[in-house]
Amino acid sequence: MTLLSPGREVVVAGVGLHPFGRFRDKDLATLARDAVVAALGDCGVPWKDIQAAWFGHVYYHGMSVGETALAPLGLTGIPIINVENACSSGSTAFWQAYWSIASGLYDLALAFGAEKVPSGPVTVTAADSPDRYIGGDHMMAGYALRAQRYLAETGAPLAALGQVAVKARQNAALNPYAHRKDTYTLEEVLNSRLVADPLTLFQCCPTSEGAAAAVLCARECLGQYRLDGRRAVRVAAAALTSGRYNGKGSDHSAFSPYRTEPAALQAYEMAGLGPEDVDLVQVHDAATIGELQQLEALHLLPVGEAWRASLEGRTALAGDIPCNTDGGLLAMGHPFGATGIRMVHETVTQLRGEAGPRQVPDARAGVAQCSGAGDVTTVIILAK
Amino acid sequence: MGAGPALTPMGSCRKLALPMTQQTRHKVQSVDPRRLKLADPAGTSGVLLGFQCRQCGVQVFGPATYCQSCTSNDLAPVELSQRGILYSFTVVRVPPAGWPGAVPYILGQVELPEGPHVLAEVIDCAPTGLKIGMEMALALTHVQAEGSEVVRVVYKWRPQTPSANFPEGKP
Repeated sequence: MTLLSPGREVVVAGVGLHPFGRFRDKDLATLARDAVVAALGDCGVPWKDIQAAWFGHVYYHGMSVGETALAPLGLTGIPIINVENACSSGSTAFWQAYWSIASGLYDLALAFGAEKVPSGPVTVTAADSPDRYIGGDHMMAGYALRAQRYLAETGAPLAALGQVAVKARQNAALNPYAHRKDTYTLEEVLNSRLVADPLTLFQCCPTSEGAAAAVLCARECLGQYRLDGRRAVRVAAAALTSGRYNGKGSDHSAFSPYRTEPAALQAYEMAGLGPEDVDLVQVHDAATIGELQQLEALHLLPVGEAWRASLEGRTALAGDIPCNTDGGLLAMGHPFGATGIRMVHETVTQLRGEAGPRQVPDARAGVAQCSGAGDVTTVIILAK
Repeated sequence: MGAGPALTPMGSCRKLALPMTQQTRHKVQSVDPRRLKLADPAGTSGVLLGFQCRQCGVQVFGPATYCQSCTSNDLAPVELSQRGILYSFTVVRVPPAGWPGAVPYILGQVELPEGPHVLAEVIDCAPTGLKIGMEMALALTHVQAEGSEVVRVVYKWRPQTPSANFPEGKP
């Protein structure tokens, strides 16, 4: 497969978040706009300068919600594209904004995403699907199947899974934007009620509301827009893949844990960096098992070994592979359209050295990995 | 398996199964005719359906027009094995929307000899009787959702060898 060679260097100039949690009195468009205004303010770009915008979201809130969200900022006539790519909708919007600038189509673009995820187990199929009768369309049951298999193959103890959730809450306690900021002990995590064995409630990410935004710019145009190059963070790679046949047939739920690997290899090649260059990583930890398997798929830890790293504290803020430094999906919560850009927000904040009490020292390169139904994977690498 | 409320021996589907006399007054149909072909109108036996690629040999479970592996459209319909190996399983304690059975239920991921993985409820067994790698056999149950005229025949898995909990195989 031939990779499109990036034509121009692209940077993230500004990032913004709406806190994650539950906001019953705010509609989706308002959540999204608040994040956009924060991102524009972060880099001092006036809205009228933005040349194109991509909006990630999944659940239906009427047509053209991206336009609805941005219209109150002024009708500037730019293309606004609504993006649905399951849990990777936000990172897909970012991917599109990145390539629009790298290819020379635009100089200054916006990627944003928002979601109000309904409470209860997340399903993929339509309500009249036979899968509802068969009982297999259940996100956390899918993760549970992966967890059972992983535990059987590696001999990992339940504590290795639980420690992922403990660490997520510790990081989130240092993050004012997180949905869940209270910390738990390992015993509390393992003794919370079972959702699908062996996953307990605190090992499953909350369904949440929230929004995130990023302003992307061609490096060579920073001066033209009077942007601060010192706070700009380089997009070293942005890769997006869908499912590739792996011998497991047509059942979408019987997914391989290692869908991420092809996107990761593409991203490392684009960036000219390897796993050894990565100082921190955000991965798709919708359930605790997800973090362990994504770290392995990203080649940051050997296959079957991530559970040891979890138990040894290597993935904590003070470890050698700090993972999900803002609390991840497990503690930030998971508003689908926002999550991928939230990961970019955290990585940019860390690489700027602006992460305060959760700052990873001397961070120079970070990976943000997002998964979604349809075996969508995005891997974004940001670097100083 | 972790702790938690004990699984009710036998899934709800047995409770939902109707006596044969009553079944005949309802429309009996496969939960998905593209995946499960009923061998008789009463739906007491059936077979999993799939396609095999004549070009590369790959087999898939369920409907297909093009080969998922090589993209050829030269496909032949096939009937898949009635047995497979348990790849993984879980006990679902918070059900997904639309689940017509009781909770908790066991969800099994079974690898067929032809390659495909088939997810379905595991019946006639307690979770403690399951072990990854054990042989599983296809089973059918009749499910009627509340307020529905239709009895759906749903494919399930059960251990090929009856467990100690259910020595007769059909408790």
